[in-house]
Amino acid sequence: MRIPLYQIDAFTTRTFAGNPAAVVPLERWLPDAVLQSIAEENNLAQTAFYVPRSQRDAEPAYDLRWFTPAAEVDICGHATLATAHFILAKNAAASVAFHTRSGVLRVARDGPRLALDFPARPPAPEGADMTAAEAALGARPAKVLKSRDVFAVFDDAGAVKDLRPDMAKVAALDGFGVIATAPGDDCDFVSRFFAPKVGVPEDPVTGSAHCTLIPYWAERLSKNELFARQISKRGGELWCRHRGERVTIAGTCAPYLEGWIEI
Amino acid sequence: MRIRLIQVDAFTDKTFGGNSAAVCPLERWLPNALLQSIAAENNLSETAYFVPKGDDYELRWFTPVAEIDLAGHPTLATAWVMLNTLGIKRDKLVFHTKIGDTLIVTPEGDRLAMDFPARPPAPRAIGDVAAALGAKPTDVLAARDGFAVFAREEDVRNLRPDMAKVAALDCMAIIATAPGEDCDFVSRFFAPKHNIPEDPVTGSAHSTLIPYWGKRLGKSEMFARQVSARGGALWCRNRGERVTIAGQCAPYLDGWIEV
Repeated sequence: MRIPLYQIDAFTTRTFAGNPAAVVPLERWLPDAVLQSIAEENNLAQTAFYVPRSQRDAEPAYDLRWFTPAAEVDICGHATLATAHFILAKNAAASVAFHTRSGVLRVARDGPRLALDFPARPPAPEGADMTAAEAALGARPAKVLKSRDVFAVFDDAGAVKDLRPDMAKVAALDGFGVIATAPGDDCDFVSRFFAPKVGVPEDPVTGSAHCTLIPYWAERLSKNELFARQISKRGGELWCRHRGERVTIAGTCAPYLEGWIEI
Repeated sequence: MRIRLIQVDAFTDKTFGGNSAAVCPLERWLPNALLQSIAAENNLSETAYFVPKGDDYELRWFTPVAEIDLAGHPTLATAWVMLNTLGIKRDKLVFHTKIGDTLIVTPEGDRLAMDFPARPPAPRAIGDVAAALGAKPTDVLAARDGFAVFAREEDVRNLRPDMAKVAALDCMAIIATAPGEDCDFVSRFFAPKHNIPEDPVTGSAHSTLIPYWGKRLGKSEMFARQVSARGGALWCRNRGERVTIAGQCAPYLDGWIEV
């Protein structure tokens, strides 16, 4: 059987930057073991598979699932952005709805970009451990908070850029991952994201981390529209909007590969 | 610029088995930084590039982080792609590599045969192999790699090495091997020192496996399996100073990249 496969770099305008995802359009679901084998063979952080639902409404709808090389996951921002980029490149609709393990996710056109609608997860002081965070990151943050992730705030972007975390200690922290952030020089804020606990020492660009970054920086900077950079080696750009209970995370995508797989 | 990219699984006839490699045919060499960026973007163990040179070809291999001097499975993959996907007609393919070696790949029926140097193992102390592999071998030898011999195929299949201890052994990587149930010998290959906990199929390990088993079994033609999770099949020939390692490939992806 021949199936189309696309590889797209998400949250960037440049190929080789952003976060790569494979996107595989299907007419109907294949066995889970085949989906897992394809994701393993691709060996990218995420492979997204989608199947059309009813196309009668003005908003096209799809079932969407994400697989790492090792397992299916509940949610993935950058692979969702990449999938929407591919679908909306061929469809004039204003938005697309994805039915996922995490409910319905909408991606809408937002000027030249595509916008993800995600829940806000503001950080709080409870459960934050400055001593452990400093030991894991190898530098003392100005402030440590906590959401799903450990949230370490530094005074300047250079301090975040220069971090060389001790991954064993990062993995031992109480949290899914660690967000390191600071005010940006040419943007509102910068960040990096480390998640060695789930096999990702550093993620190039992380939509879900911005569920926490946006409410924090919106309050601190007293603005609801923010432009952010994730300053990993590959780098990413995110246009952010704070909307109370929800956040909008918008970005662009750069296509890399289009081809057919034989399975 | 659009470049063709083909991903195949080497040393197997089944997609999702063997060892994956990407192959990009080029008309001329592109800047090293671009070759490296493509290999990083592919994120496979190796991406191979080739450029015609007279009747022969120049061949280079990149991991996601660096260019390397020699790699078996991407060479098999490249030859397979040239003869099958790209329809290049040759009785043999001659590849010139960056370090000056010439690699020759010859079609043999539905397989492709590669000519490699023999690196027979000899007794050498390399540390506590039993602790590293979690099982006591009957014999420990070494060439470039440590070489741990077990009595039965299932001993090798059941190994659960302690990767930190394997990385501490005094060798580049370690080969675990035993007589096979439906083949002459089986093996697995662990190289945590090179960030490869287990390699699915390893051509270069057979430079050591073939002279050892050729001598022990008194045979020059052998059929071997690498019994990793993905699995590989290798047809082997012992020729003294050289060995022949032959295999098949299964196609996976055929497409174009935009760079």
